[in-house]
Amino acid sequence: MVAATNGTARITATGDDWGRLAARARRTRRVKATSIYAFLIAVSIPIVLPYFWLVTIAFSARTGVAETQVLWRAVAVLVPAVIAFWAAAMLARGQRQRWAFVALVALATIIAFVALVGPSLHLENFIFLVEPDFASVLRSKVGTVTGAVQFPNVWHAFGNSILLAGTQTVIVVTVASLAAYYLSRFDFPGRSSMLRSLLVLHAFPVLTLIVPLFLMLYYIGLLDSLIGVILVLVAFELPFAIFIMKGFFDAVPWDIEMSALTDGASRRQAFLKVVLPQVTNGMLAISVFTFIRGWEEYIFVFTFLIRNTNWTMSLYMFYVREDVMGVDYGVVSAVGVFYLVPSLLLYMAAQRYLLQMSVGGVKG
Amino acid sequence: MTAITEDLQLERGGRQRRRQVVNFAIFLGPAIVLTVLFFIIPVIIDVAVSFTDMGRSLQVTGFTTEQYEKIFAGDRRLVEVIGLTLIYVFATLAIFNVTFAVILALVTTATNRLTGNFFRGVWLLPRMSPSVLYILLWIWVINPSEFGLLNQVLMTVLGLETPIDPLNDMPVLLIVIANGFIGASMGMIIFTSAIRAIPEHLFHAARVDGAGGFAVVRHITLPALRWPISFVTIYQTLSLLVSFEYILLLTKGGPFYDTTVYALYIYRRAFQSGQYAYGAALAVFIIALGVIFALLGWRLFDMQKLLQRPRIEVQ
Amino acid sequence: MASIEFRKITKRFGDVEVIPDMDLDIADGEFVALLGPSGCGKSTSLLLLAGIYLPSTGDLLFDGHVVNDVEAKDRNVGIVFQSYALYPHMTVRDNIMFPLRFKKTPREEAIRRVNEAAALVQVGDLLDRRPGQLSGGQQQRVALARALVKQPQLLLLDEPLSNLDATLRLSMRTEIKSLQDELGVTTILVTHDQIEATTMADRIICMRAGRIEQAGTPDDLYARPSSLFVASFIGSPPINLVEGKAVNGTVDVSGIGFPATGATGAVTIGLRPEHLVVADTGLPGRIAQIEPMGREVLYVVSTDIGHIRILEQGSTAGRGAGEAVHVGFDEAHSLVFDTTTERLIPDSHVKPPAP
Repeated sequence: MVAATNGTARITATGDDWGRLAARARRTRRVKATSIYAFLIAVSIPIVLPYFWLVTIAFSARTGVAETQVLWRAVAVLVPAVIAFWAAAMLARGQRQRWAFVALVALATIIAFVALVGPSLHLENFIFLVEPDFASVLRSKVGTVTGAVQFPNVWHAFGNSILLAGTQTVIVVTVASLAAYYLSRFDFPGRSSMLRSLLVLHAFPVLTLIVPLFLMLYYIGLLDSLIGVILVLVAFELPFAIFIMKGFFDAVPWDIEMSALTDGASRRQAFLKVVLPQVTNGMLAISVFTFIRGWEEYIFVFTFLIRNTNWTMSLYMFYVREDVMGVDYGVVSAVGVFYLVPSLLLYMAAQRYLLQMSVGGVKG
Repeated sequence: MTAITEDLQLERGGRQRRRQVVNFAIFLGPAIVLTVLFFIIPVIIDVAVSFTDMGRSLQVTGFTTEQYEKIFAGDRRLVEVIGLTLIYVFATLAIFNVTFAVILALVTTATNRLTGNFFRGVWLLPRMSPSVLYILLWIWVINPSEFGLLNQVLMTVLGLETPIDPLNDMPVLLIVIANGFIGASMGMIIFTSAIRAIPEHLFHAARVDGAGGFAVVRHITLPALRWPISFVTIYQTLSLLVSFEYILLLTKGGPFYDTTVYALYIYRRAFQSGQYAYGAALAVFIIALGVIFALLGWRLFDMQKLLQRPRIEVQ
Repeated sequence: MASIEFRKITKRFGDVEVIPDMDLDIADGEFVALLGPSGCGKSTSLLLLAGIYLPSTGDLLFDGHVVNDVEAKDRNVGIVFQSYALYPHMTVRDNIMFPLRFKKTPREEAIRRVNEAAALVQVGDLLDRRPGQLSGGQQQRVALARALVKQPQLLLLDEPLSNLDATLRLSMRTEIKSLQDELGVTTILVTHDQIEATTMADRIICMRAGRIEQAGTPDDLYARPSSLFVASFIGSPPINLVEGKAVNGTVDVSGIGFPATGATGAVTIGLRPEHLVVADTGLPGRIAQIEPMGREVLYVVSTDIGHIRILEQGSTAGRGAGEAVHVGFDEAHSLVFDTTTERLIPDSHVKPPAP
C-alpha cells in the first residue's frame, strides 16, 4: 500500500479501505456520543435528584409523614419530559418545527403531571410565611408540645437578610469603585506596593480571622449586632471587589477621560460623569455577587449574632432544620425553597459575570 | 520675570500636591480604613491573644507562651487533625476540584453548546445554593433510615439489605464528596472558558494531522490548560485549607474529632471549648500559610497589566 | 494522489444552508482555486474535504470512493490554515513531526522526513524554535511543511497568504506553485484574492452564496465570464459595467447608442479597463482623474454614461486632467450580459458609438 517514489511515499487507498475506515468512523462517533451523554447524565443525577426532592417535598409532604411516593412519580413524569425536550431541540429542523415539538412535549408533560402528581400538591407547608409560631402548630399536630427554639417571624429574618446584604452591597460598591478608580488611574507614591498588597489581600483567607474578630467585636460592643457583621463582611468583600473593579476601570479607554479633561472637567468630575458610566457592568456584577454573599452568609452571622431578632435567613433555615426536621419534612423543605429561590434567581441574572468573578486578572 | 514663573510653578506644584492628598483621602481613604480595621488589627490582636491565657471568661490574667508549647508538645490530637487536613485537602483537590473539573469541562465542551450549558448549569447548582441549604440536602440524602434518598436508591435499585449510615461510617469520604461537588464547578467554569479560548483551527489541524479524540485532548487541550490548572490548584488548596463551613454544618467535626480539619479545630477550640488564646495561637499558623499561598498566586497574575502606569499626570 | 468529486453535496448549519447543492470534479494532480467573497461557502467546502464537517446530504468521493464518513485523521489530507494553526507549545520540529506520530512512522524515518520537509520550505534552521518566536512568513512555511510531511494525497490551502505582507505574498505564491508542480499533489486553494487564484491555479472555481458560479481556467474566467458576478470579481482594476436597453441592433445607454449584435432587452455591457483606449473617435468624455500605477496609468473618464476606467500602458500619463477625449475599444473584447438573469449572452458584442 505504501510505495516510495522520489523519496516520497504515496498512499493510495482502495475502495475496501475507505469502506472499512468509514465504518470505523461511524462506530467511533456512535460510541463517543453515547458515552458522553451517558457520563453526563450519570454524574448529574446525584445533583439533580436532591434538589428535585426538595421541591417535591415542599409542595407535597404532610406533617408527620415521611414518604417519597410523590418524588418518584414526579421523576417518572419529568425525566422522560426532559429527554423529550432535549430530543426535540436537537432533532428539529428549523425554528418553527422546534417550537411545535416543544409545545407538544410541554402539553404532554403538563397533562401527565396534573394526572399523576397534581392531586398530591398543596401549599400547606408554606404555613411559616403567615404563622410566626408555626413550630407550635406543627408540634400540636403530632403531639409533642415543647420545642427548643423560639422562632421569630420569617419576614423579620427575611428583612434582616435583605438589610444585611443590601447595606453591605451599597458600601462595597461605593468604596470599591472609588478605590479601584484611584488605583487604576492615578499615579502616586506607593502605588505599586499598594497594588501588590491588594493582590495578597484579595486571596487572603478571611475565615482565619474569625477568632480575633470575635474578640474585637466583643471589645467594641458590636457583638450580636447587625452593624458589626455588616462591617466585617464589607471589609472582607472589599479587596476582591476592588480587584475586579480595577480590571473594569483599566479597560476604559484613556482617550475619553483625556478629552473630558480637555473639555474642562476636573479629575473628580471626569470620574463621576465620564468614567463611572463606562463601568456600570462591573458595578452591577459586584453588586449581585456581594448581595448573594450577604444573603448566603452563614458562618459569621452564626458566630457573631445570637438574639433571634437578629437572625438572618440562613440562621432561620439552620434552626428550622435543627428543630423541626424530625417533625415535618414538608415545612423544612418549604423554608428551603423560600431561601433558595432568590439565590438562584440572582445567580442566573449574573451568570455572564461568573467567569470574570472567579478568575479576575489571571494570565491567559 | 523668571522669579514670577518660578513662583507660579511653585504655587502650581503646591496645588497639585494638595489635590493629590485630598483625592487620596476621598478615593482610597474608606478602603484603607476598613482594611486596616478588619485585616491588620485582627491579625495583631490574634498574635497578641496567642501569647495570653484568655479562656471562656474572655479575661486576660497574664502573658505566657504556654499556647505555643501546647501546640508543639502537648496536643496529641493536633497531629491527627493535621493528618486529616492533608488527606481532606489533597483528596478533594485531586479528585474533584482539578481532575473531575477537567473531565466535566472536556465532556461538556465536546457536546453542542446547548447541552453543555445545561449540564454545566446542573453542576453549578451546589455553588449557587446557600451553604445551610446545600448541607440540608446532604443530610436528607444520607439519612441513615430507609427513607434517606441514598438508602432508597441503594435498597430498591441495587438491592442492599440494610440501610447505610455514611455520617458515622465514612465521614471523611462524606466531607470530601460534599466539598468536591462545590469545588468541581469552579474549575469547570475556568477550564471551560480556557478550552473555548483555544482557536478552533488548532483542533481542526490536529484532526487532519491524524489525531483521534484522546490525542487531541492530550496534545491540544491539556497543554492549553496548564495555567488554569495551576490557578485552580493554588486557590482551591488555600480555600480548602481554611474553610470549614460545610463540615461544621454537615458533621460538626464529628463523630468525635474524625472530620475536624485544622480550621475547624481552631473554631471548636475557641468557640466550643472556650480556649480563645489557644485558638488564636493555632490561627497564627494558618494566617501565615494564607499569606504564603496568596504570594504563590502572584506568579499567576499578569503583573505588567496590573501595575500599568496611569497615563494622565494631573491630579 | 487523489481525484475528488462532490456529488450533489449540501451543507446546513441549523437553519442556515451554506452550500445548497454542489457538484464538482477535480482531477488527480490538479491545482484548483476556490474563489469567492467571504461567506460564499468556500471554506466550508474545504473543511468538508478535510473531514472536519460532514455533508448534510450528497456524497464526497476520493478516487471514486465515497468517503463521507471517513474521519479527518484517516483521509491523509494536508491542510494549511490562514492562521497557520501551529501548536503553540511545541517546537517547530515537533509541529512538523506531529502528523507522523500518528502514522507510527519509525523514529529515524520520521526525523529524516521532518528534515526533508523543513528543507523543502527552507525552515531547516528554525527547528528548535517555538511558533511564537517566528515571523508570519516563517510560520507559514512551517505550516506548509507540516501539511506536506505526511505526503498527503490532497493538499488544502485556506487563504494561506492573506496574513503575509505584499512582497512575501508574491514570493510565496511562486514557491507554493512550484512546490505543487514538483510534488504533483492535488491541491485546492481557497482564496478571496483573484490574483492569487489566477496566478497559482490551473483551474478556478468561482463561488457565490454556496453555488458554483463558473469553473474554468483563469483565461476562461477572464475572457468569457459566464455571469456579471464573475466578470466583476475577476480583473483588476474592476470591469466597467453599464446598463442599457437593446433594441434593433443598438444598445441604448442613457441616450447613447452602441451598435450591437445578438442582444435584445435589458442588457449590461462589460468593458475591461485594459481593453479600452483613448482614441480620436468613440464615446466622448473628459478625463476626471489620473492615477499613475507604476507601469500603467489609470484614467477615470467622465462620460454621459457615467465614469469609465481606462488602463493605459506606460509609466507616465500622456494627458492631463480635464482634457476632452474619446473612449474606444475593440468589438471582440466587449461583453454583453442579460441584466435580469445576469448571465453572459454568448456571441453578443457591442461597438463604440458612431460619431
